[in-house]
Amino acid sequence: MKKDELEARIKKVVSSLLKVPEEKIALSSDFVKDLGAESIQSLELVAAFEREFGIEMDEEESLEVKTVGKAVEFIGKILKEKGKLGE
Amino acid sequence: MRICIFEDEKFDQLYPLVYLRPVFELRCGATSLYEKVKRNYDNMEICFFMRPQLVDSFKKRNQQSSVNSLDDLKNDDLLLLNARLLLKEKISPASEEIGIKDDAVAYINIKKETINKVNFFHFSEFLKNVLQILPQKEVDLKLITYPWDLINNNGEAITDDFRSIGGKIEGELSPQAAIVGDKSKLFIGKRAKIHPFAVLDTTEGPVIIDEEAIVHPHSRIEGPSYIGKRSKIVGGKVREGCSLGPVTMIGGEIEETIFHGYANKFHEGFIGHSYICEWVNLGALTTNSDLKNDYSTVSVHIKDRLVDSKSIKVGSFIGDHTKTSIGTILNTGTVIGVMCNVVGSGKISPKFIPSFAWYLNNNFLKYSLRMQLETAKMAMSRRKKELTQEDIGLLRYVHEITKEERKQAVQKSLM
Repeated sequence: MKKDELEARIKKVVSSLLKVPEEKIALSSDFVKDLGAESIQSLELVAAFEREFGIEMDEEESLEVKTVGKAVEFIGKILKEKGKLGE
Repeated sequence: MRICIFEDEKFDQLYPLVYLRPVFELRCGATSLYEKVKRNYDNMEICFFMRPQLVDSFKKRNQQSSVNSLDDLKNDDLLLLNARLLLKEKISPASEEIGIKDDAVAYINIKKETINKVNFFHFSEFLKNVLQILPQKEVDLKLITYPWDLINNNGEAITDDFRSIGGKIEGELSPQAAIVGDKSKLFIGKRAKIHPFAVLDTTEGPVIIDEEAIVHPHSRIEGPSYIGKRSKIVGGKVREGCSLGPVTMIGGEIEETIFHGYANKFHEGFIGHSYICEWVNLGALTTNSDLKNDYSTVSVHIKDRLVDSKSIKVGSFIGDHTKTSIGTILNTGTVIGVMCNVVGSGKISPKFIPSFAWYLNNNFLKYSLRMQLETAKMAMSRRKKELTQEDIGLLRYVHEITKEERKQAVQKSLM
């Protein structure tokens, strides 16, 4: 998977769960402040990312993922370690 | 003679109730299993043997020092009592013997001289060696084997406990409160208050309202029932066979249920045939089923398998610090672990929710332990209690041993 595809898939997951059009989601978008995520939706987002990419996200580290860009970075790192993300 | 209370290997059949406490601290009746031992062996030295992970937290909470010390087994005659023993009256064996109930050691009576002949380097070795030298006999005593045993014996245990205190009214009983039944079966402790339009019904058993408890108007309490110190009944029905530990708030309807203490069920909703641990908050309208529509016996998740309780009335067993949202509906025989967050979605919840899991929109989710500990600290500080480092250490241990079952539940809901 390339980074562009990763970013697109993350935006798609976020759009579907938070009911926000994809075009309104930027890397700088904050899940709570900009996209209106409720506190419990942030847990659902973690589960949705895990399902989408077949990964496991550490619950303590996930707390620091507050923007779409951070999610791309965080998930990208996990996928890279698993050899599933290309340059 | 010294009394020694020990946990045997069947403690895990009582999960999630005993993740954070030794078995003998479980409540049945107006008192805990331990308090019944203490009452029957007044002024005798008591020592304890329990899972090593519980020791620091237990010692801190109880200012106890005689825990898991092999020295306590020496230099005195001993009466060893299983922590699962629901003691009705004093056991006084005339000779050295082992009392056996359902293939488990209920008690051991052993003399100092015999102990001196036994070699041991840990408690289990002591038990094993003693079993080989003393005569065994089947005894008719009650051992708590599964969580529902506490519920099924609760009414009788309240009546037994009442015998040791007797009927007495030391608190304020409003002249406009109604007593139905025999007034001598009523105990109202010091500084307790029974408001006008409360009904206390002793027809089927005693009602014990302990010190500083408050019963608000439009509350009905049916005996046998026990309302613990500084607890509040804020309207609604406390039906027969209920025990509330200290500082528990109850509204709505409860029946044959034990609240260990420091729990909240403030609003409407029904809880029956259940054991609810400390620091649990049940949101408004949380309701559990305790009877299946086909009247068949209820199976309960015990140690990775379903065990038939052989009882048709079984409610929920909820571990410490767990919270349910408004409108949560719990299935018959549900087990919810420690520090869970169950969010009702209009559907019946699953029968097993592993410790530290969140259940939301029919999915299991995981959440930061650090954040859950912060929430627990906050909840406890509201009641002027502290989540100690020892408690945190124990919670971290429980988090670790329940990791796999939580992972399985989360993965299953990701499918």
